[in-house]
Amino acid sequence: MFFKIIAKDEVPDLVRGIATEYEVIGPQAKGTAFVFAPLKDPADLRLDYDMTILPAKRYILPERETLMRFSVEDNEVVEAELDAPRRALFGLHPCDVNSLLLMDNVFLDGGDPDPYYKARRENTLIIGVSCMPAPTCFCDAWGTDETHRGFDIFLTDIGDSYYASISSVRGADLVDRFAKGRDITAEDTAAFQERSAAFKAAFEHEIDTSQLPVLLDAKYDSPIWQEFGEMCLACGACSTVCPTCYCFDVHDELDADQKHGERVRTWDSCQFKDFAGVAHGNFRDSRASRVRYRYYHKQWGYLSRYEKVLCVGCGRCTRACKADINPPRVVRALQTGVVDR
Amino acid sequence: MTASTLASPVQLNPYRPWPARITSIIDLTPQEKLFELRLIDDATRDAFDFEAGQFVELSLFGVGEAPISISSAPSKQGFIELCIRDSGDVTGAMHAKQCGDIVGLRGPFGRGFPFQEMKGHDVLLVAGGLGIAPLKSLINHIHDDRHEFGKVTILYGARTPSEILFRRQFEMWQHREDFDLMLTVDRPDETWEGEVGLVTKLFDKIDLDPDNTYGALCGPPVMYKYVIAEMRKKDLDVDKIYVSFERRMKCGIGKCGHCGVGHQYVCVDGPVFNYWEAMNLQEAI
Ligand SMILES: Cc1cc2nc3c(=O)[nH]c(=O)nc-3n(C[C@H](O)[C@H](O)[C@H](O)COP(=O)(O)OP(=O)(O)OC[C@H]3O[C@@H](n4cnc5c(N)ncnc54)[C@H](O)[C@@H]3O)c2cc1C
Ligand code: SF4
Ligand code: SF4
Ligand code: FES
Repeated sequence: MFFKIIAKDEVPDLVRGIATEYEVIGPQAKGTAFVFAPLKDPADLRLDYDMTILPAKRYILPERETLMRFSVEDNEVVEAELDAPRRALFGLHPCDVNSLLLMDNVFLDGGDPDPYYKARRENTLIIGVSCMPAPTCFCDAWGTDETHRGFDIFLTDIGDSYYASISSVRGADLVDRFAKGRDITAEDTAAFQERSAAFKAAFEHEIDTSQLPVLLDAKYDSPIWQEFGEMCLACGACSTVCPTCYCFDVHDELDADQKHGERVRTWDSCQFKDFAGVAHGNFRDSRASRVRYRYYHKQWGYLSRYEKVLCVGCGRCTRACKADINPPRVVRALQTGVVDR
Repeated sequence: MTASTLASPVQLNPYRPWPARITSIIDLTPQEKLFELRLIDDATRDAFDFEAGQFVELSLFGVGEAPISISSAPSKQGFIELCIRDSGDVTGAMHAKQCGDIVGLRGPFGRGFPFQEMKGHDVLLVAGGLGIAPLKSLINHIHDDRHEFGKVTILYGARTPSEILFRRQFEMWQHREDFDLMLTVDRPDETWEGEVGLVTKLFDKIDLDPDNTYGALCGPPVMYKYVIAEMRKKDLDVDKIYVSFERRMKCGIGKCGHCGVGHQYVCVDGPVFNYWEAMNLQEAI
């Protein structure tokens, strides 16, 4: 990794420069909230946003995508181009950069890499930006408050300028061409350290995440799950807004002529009733079992394979859930055995 | 802004089914047919190596996909057999296919039975209903390498005599000396002269060497607890028992999340699990 200082007033030029080669997606205000959306004007870019409603995962794993077009009669694939435009995700917080690394484990996995995900991931430039924790943030609990890879450029706010960490050739090239920048000094690095310390100190809550896999098994039959199950609306919002939820459905859609069609992949959620339904029944018929499964998989299932929990503490599900079910509350309930009010 | 697109992900696309021709269809029962399939592409066919207990995704464009166990033995080259019950969209559409029709296959997926490890030992295979489909692959594989195994005991239960799959072959095998095969039905008809009752009843009639026997089991979910209890009564080691599970599946490659059982995915960590592992999986049995 190497570093540059980029003055804040150089950022619009950097954005404009990148936009000559990539479709730039960035955080923008929408009503009282923020969203990731294609950037029409660099002035709309709000690098001071707290959190977006939806994560940027749809640009890598879209909510709906065609896997292949087919002809029904001869059961054959009709060649289709894969849609993987060159995009820049400009302004991801550390949690969101980390969320993509967690998804990579699943989709770029040695055995059967997912070619659709892979092509988009490779064509997507990631520019991260530092943040200050919102009340719903708890990335510090999982160590996903820092990121050291998974980005091309990471901008840490040190006042009038950004301390830019550059970790790819294409990132370096873009900074070179579109931002004047200057080399770092010892003072800049001190400012970077200060900023990092202030960020860490700003988290208000502490979450006891010790021994979660053990607790999830040992307290598998705990009444807390029944209680959460009675609260849950099975709406699936928690999965939709989650940057690490990747489950999907695959189905076929026929054209009007019934002769051709496409095999489509769409986002799915383990909170939906049919998710684990089979011919002779449903392995997770109750809401309680489905809420439990979401946490069981994130805090233990995924971890059993990849040594990390499948949550980056972005707090989006905390904001989205109408029933007030969220990881900090569930983890507390697991630790204490009671659901706090 | 330029938006470049990559070439289509044809090569190495695990979602892309390979065309296969139906080379034979046999009616086994009113609900089940046995399909023999041949992958059309030579290189794909040659590369299609599998273990007994693995499955494929059967793909009918316009309808969808369904996971189906391979019923034929790995020792049968060039063709694979699928024993399919008409139980929904894909399986129903498959039942309407004719010999010569083209369907799609992806796979083979998952972990099968530990055939190599079982060699040199006795084996006890227990099937209920359609659970015979994956075990049939193992049975045929053992048959082809019969001299490498000790005593082979097969217990198979079906609801009624007309629902016994591969009935002709099994009835013939009941008289063989090298396979100890027992059939039972829950509800007999007037033609039935064999055993009546659940498959667990047959355990009274068998003799096992617990130190030298591998157990394998596949059937409807309700069956597992009871059959395993019988196996344990016979002192079979928990880590020498293998079970095969069915879950909802969409991808077969550990990505779509549908087949989760406990902390694992059935499509990649199973469908065949060592019972010791399965005991540690929530919701498994
Ligand atoms: C590893 C593995 C191996 C298998 N091997 C075989 C085999 O060898 N032979 C065989 O015949 N089958 C086998 N199966 C079972 C088979 O894959 C399923 O029965 C599959 O659902 C059939 O697909 P379908 O499209 O025909 O049925 P579907 O149209 O998917 O419907 C099947 C049944 O499930 C119900 N159903 C559909 N969707 C849902 C839902 N969302 N929630 C609840 N119920 C629902 C339907 O009402 C119907 O009764 C295997 C399954 C697995 C996982
Ligand atoms: S589970 Fe909630 S807090 Fe964790 S990554 Fe997903 S949306 Fe963010
Ligand atoms: S936990 Fe909350 S967001 Fe998730 S399905 Fe239940 S009610 Fe909806
Ligand atoms: S079938 Fe998709 S993860 Fe197992």
